[in-house]
Amino acid sequence: MISETHKWKVAQRASPQKLSSSRGFFQIGKGVLIGSILPIILLVIWEIAARTGLLAAHLLPAPTIILEKIISMYQDGSLFGHISITLTRVFLGFAIGTVAAVVIGAIVGYAKTAERLLDPLFQAIRSIPSLAWVPLFILWMGIGEPSKISLIAVGVFFPVYLNIVAGIQGVDRKLIEVGRIYQLSPYQLTKRIILPAALPSFITGMRSGLGLGWMFVVAAELMGASEGLGYLLVVGQNTYSPDTVIASILLFAVLGKITDAVLKWIEHRSLKWQDSITNQG
Amino acid sequence: MLKVKRLKRTFNQDTAGFQDINLSVKEGEIIGILGTSGCGKSTLLRVLSGLDQQYEGTISIENGSNNQIGMMFQEPRLLPWLSVKKNISFGLEKEERNTEKYKTYLDLVGLTGFENHFPKDLSGGMAQRTAIARALITEPEILLLDEPFSALDAFTKMQLQDLLLSIWQKKKTTMILVTHDIDEALYLCDRIFILKGQPGEVYSEIAVEKEKPRTRGDGYLSKLKAHILHLLNVEKKAAGEQQ
Repeated sequence: MISETHKWKVAQRASPQKLSSSRGFFQIGKGVLIGSILPIILLVIWEIAARTGLLAAHLLPAPTIILEKIISMYQDGSLFGHISITLTRVFLGFAIGTVAAVVIGAIVGYAKTAERLLDPLFQAIRSIPSLAWVPLFILWMGIGEPSKISLIAVGVFFPVYLNIVAGIQGVDRKLIEVGRIYQLSPYQLTKRIILPAALPSFITGMRSGLGLGWMFVVAAELMGASEGLGYLLVVGQNTYSPDTVIASILLFAVLGKITDAVLKWIEHRSLKWQDSITNQG
Repeated sequence: MLKVKRLKRTFNQDTAGFQDINLSVKEGEIIGILGTSGCGKSTLLRVLSGLDQQYEGTISIENGSNNQIGMMFQEPRLLPWLSVKKNISFGLEKEERNTEKYKTYLDLVGLTGFENHFPKDLSGGMAQRTAIARALITEPEILLLDEPFSALDAFTKMQLQDLLLSIWQKKKTTMILVTHDIDEALYLCDRIFILKGQPGEVYSEIAVEKEKPRTRGDGYLSKLKAHILHLLNVEKKAAGEQQ
């Protein structure tokens, strides 16, 4: 029991805010080490099972073969193209979705009338599974980039929007009163109190929005693309090459993790003031 | 300085809040508003500070400059995303906010060296000191204090009462202090208004004629305390005598 608690504490401390100190670096190393024990064991078992023929190679090829596939794609130059087009789509969709959510969310969160007017509509639209938009977007915009980016933007919009509205409406009345004592104008009140106070939930929204963005880029690229990681999935399926499929799944995982880490870093940088477990010490 | 005439603000069909309050406050005076809970003393400060505008009666303030009123609450109400330094400068105009003006007030409340701390790293007393500095930096004509020390432990409370007194001696800021602590009112105030009833009305006005700083537990203050306790407990005693 004691050792489990201890491990949990180690994992807690292995978060990025310790990056600056050398002791923190050591702690991260320790956290990564403990975290990688299981994956490494699984990889070794997988490799052995595939080599000895326990797993059918045409269904689940060995990890080394998948790695070779990625390296060969890197060598013939196609890897960079696939990754960059997918990243561009996610980035554009994410940016458009977030900006729209900030603008509309701020209005709805701040003005009661706007909330009564707009919120029911958005809640109704939100209950449509976003993938149901796919056929409509293709009809409207063709199978080119606009329909893909719009789909991603729609996916990103809702978590960001909901969190911004909740964040703004949840701002402590007591802090707003401090602003009113100093006779701040509505604009100053928003800028100096409401937005900073809503920042934590805004960032939470961005992180879940980004997760959905990655989900929707797969959907968008499955529905018809000539480049991108999602397109690789389709190619792999059609050419019976599970190595291509697993390679692109892996790349999705790595990219998703990296982009989330970037947001997490921004979160840490801008929320140092928060009195939370990760900020202790 | 400040004149209040027939001020009234009630809630729930006139069962809470206060009514018929008449006060006039002279420059440099410390006024205490004392009363049991629910007699509308915090509401009175909210009305005077402008946070609550639905009142009847008149409030007039002389020498009205722009930053007439400063307010301190029961909680420090610091903005958690700002450092101590920026919290103190919060009420200043934009041009002044990034100057060194905060330093004077940082030193005044004894927080030198803590300017870059975030509120989460402060103790309750330090946070309330920061709040005092924030309330003073705009040099308000009148400082309203809503039970400012009631959430602190006894020692910190006394320290901060002395701090407030020393600031008053330097700046002669007019203050209105709402409290339910009789000793605090007797230690700090020149005049004490006792509020009673629901809605609350001024039941009695007591002048504390003793030079500040005063000694805690001084004989004269003890007599006044007994008197105030008597005033506040009248109904209870009457009920007891009937039995």
